[in-house]
Amino acid sequence: MAVATIETSGLTRSYGEICALKPIDLVVPEGEWLSVMGHSGSGKSTLMNLVGGLDRPSAGALQVGGEDLLGLSEDGLARFRREFVGIIFQQHHLVPYLSAVENVMLAQYFHSVPDEAEAKTALERVGLGHRLRNRPGELSGGEQQRVCIARAIINSPKLLLGDEPTGNLDHKSTVMVLELLRELRAEERFTIVMVTHNQEVAAWGDRTIYLDDGVLVREERTGA
Amino acid sequence: MLALKLIPQLLCWVGMVLVLLRGFSGRRPTVVAAACAGFLLGLAGALTLLRFLPGEFSFGLIRDLVGGGFLLAWGVSVAAIYRSTGRVVSATWGERLAQRAPFAGAGTLLAGMVAAAVCACRLPGAEGKPLTYLLLALAGAVLVFAALALERVLPASFKVSLPGLLLLVVALLLFGSSSIIRLDLFSPLTMKVMKFTHDFVHQFFESMLIPDHLFIRPYLWQYIGLLFGKEIGFWGGLVIWFIPALLVLFAIQFERLPQVSQIRQGAARRKVTAAAIRSRRFRLVAPVLAAAVLAGAVYQSRFPSVEYWDPKPVLITASPSGEIFIPKKGVVDLEDGQLHKYLFKQGGREARFFVLMTPSGKLTVDLDACAICKPDGYGQVEGMVLCYYCKTYIPLDTVGKPGGCNPVPIAFTEKEDGVHLDGLTLINTWSNTVQSSARVKEGGK
Repeated sequence: MAVATIETSGLTRSYGEICALKPIDLVVPEGEWLSVMGHSGSGKSTLMNLVGGLDRPSAGALQVGGEDLLGLSEDGLARFRREFVGIIFQQHHLVPYLSAVENVMLAQYFHSVPDEAEAKTALERVGLGHRLRNRPGELSGGEQQRVCIARAIINSPKLLLGDEPTGNLDHKSTVMVLELLRELRAEERFTIVMVTHNQEVAAWGDRTIYLDDGVLVREERTGA
Repeated sequence: MLALKLIPQLLCWVGMVLVLLRGFSGRRPTVVAAACAGFLLGLAGALTLLRFLPGEFSFGLIRDLVGGGFLLAWGVSVAAIYRSTGRVVSATWGERLAQRAPFAGAGTLLAGMVAAAVCACRLPGAEGKPLTYLLLALAGAVLVFAALALERVLPASFKVSLPGLLLLVVALLLFGSSSIIRLDLFSPLTMKVMKFTHDFVHQFFESMLIPDHLFIRPYLWQYIGLLFGKEIGFWGGLVIWFIPALLVLFAIQFERLPQVSQIRQGAARRKVTAAAIRSRRFRLVAPVLAAAVLAGAVYQSRFPSVEYWDPKPVLITASPSGEIFIPKKGVVDLEDGQLHKYLFKQGGREARFFVLMTPSGKLTVDLDACAICKPDGYGQVEGMVLCYYCKTYIPLDTVGKPGGCNPVPIAFTEKEDGVHLDGLTLINTWSNTVQSSARVKEGGK
């Protein structure tokens, strides 16, 4: 039986009167690709933020990679994010005045020490070996997202979070990015939690869960 | 008031215990016990020394102990920089020894003893008052526990290497002793550098078979004379003073990073490297602090917060036969143990001198200048006279003896009524020894 990367029990997040995430019990085994679907405001991003240590739950238990996130201090959470999590956003959040390789090296810098050779290798793995010195403004949307993937995987995370990573991309780029994620997952054995609106994109995962108004309403196996 | 005077020394003691606790991490009980015992033993030793042995010997012994620590720091820093150039990163036998409890205990005990002795030297009339010693011992022990509490607050990543530990402990000892004139080491060091340069130049000429003062033209002395300036002594002293700290800094900075090529995953490899760099950065704190503390010691040595006894020279004349007479019990009491200065003028020439009764009860008459420095004169403080030019302290017992930076002695006759000396001899001695050397030192002007 695979070890659970994520395990939640009664996980809840409220913002004052508003309950963004109602008690959720969820187990994500190591190496699984979990797609999270739902309408806007259904709690998808809230769940992802909690699992990635970007936010703290209001109640419930949350274990990620064996770490009890509720028991971690701010420093402990920062270390957890640094060493355990890689995140790909819909808006790429690349530093505009740094080149592609420098953007990747920035993630290395905050993790440990920069290593340009390793950053170049990561970009070559995502098919951007010829765009190392280009700045984000000189790259297409798909290329920028691939830089984000290189940045997200450079520190060998155990958990890769994607918040609508293909939301801004055309179909061709979307397929390219998803194929790349599938290849990298096979090589690196990390767990993926990907939030999406798109049923087609969700189908690339092993399992899809559906949230509605902060409640996990159903789940289905989608993997081929 | 006494407690205020002891603040720098006691703060140094806290700092020392703090760094010893962190340096010998995992040996807290040993360090605490040894620190308390060392401080107590040091006070007892200092009390015994100061009570039963001559003051100069006792102070000299304690100063030598601090100086020995400085020499040890020099040796360890040289070893550290040598080791940093090596290819092997494994621990040396010295480092392995330092990990053992007896080493930590012995090192802390010794440091505590010297620190306590330095504190004892700060007490006025240090040879007496056992109650004061008792209170000081109590304060020392309390401060050990204060340091223990402080050490727990320090970040865990703050680690101290063995050379850094020794350097910081020695620097704190030097700082503590620099405000005690008879223990200060920086001023004697600058004097030694100056004297070495002076002797080296003359020895060099002698080795070349050139009688320098006779044959070398005055304008050449303008340049050679620069070497005899007190700035040379000061800067030379600074170099010797700070080199151990710099060597340890460089040794840590140039330390080889661990081999990581065998680690397959890039992130794990970088993490090991980052941890080594972070550890190195924290270990740099000790030598940087040591350099700052040493700078403080230099400042205290250059600008001591003591008041010198420096009376204005009394103008004095000779009898028609050329004899100068100074009564023992006149306007001043020559036998009061204080320095009394006089100015004698004759035929457009003048000489400055002083009369002093040494602690051994002998009167001495000396020029208010030495044969090496410019004739800036002397002041008196805490059982010493101070050469204003080179800031060298000379024990009162050695005043009246020729050589080094001692005031140049003048022949005189002591009678019942007072001191008699020959005016012409005085003027000639001043001219021959002081004015000629001063000309040389001022570049022949």
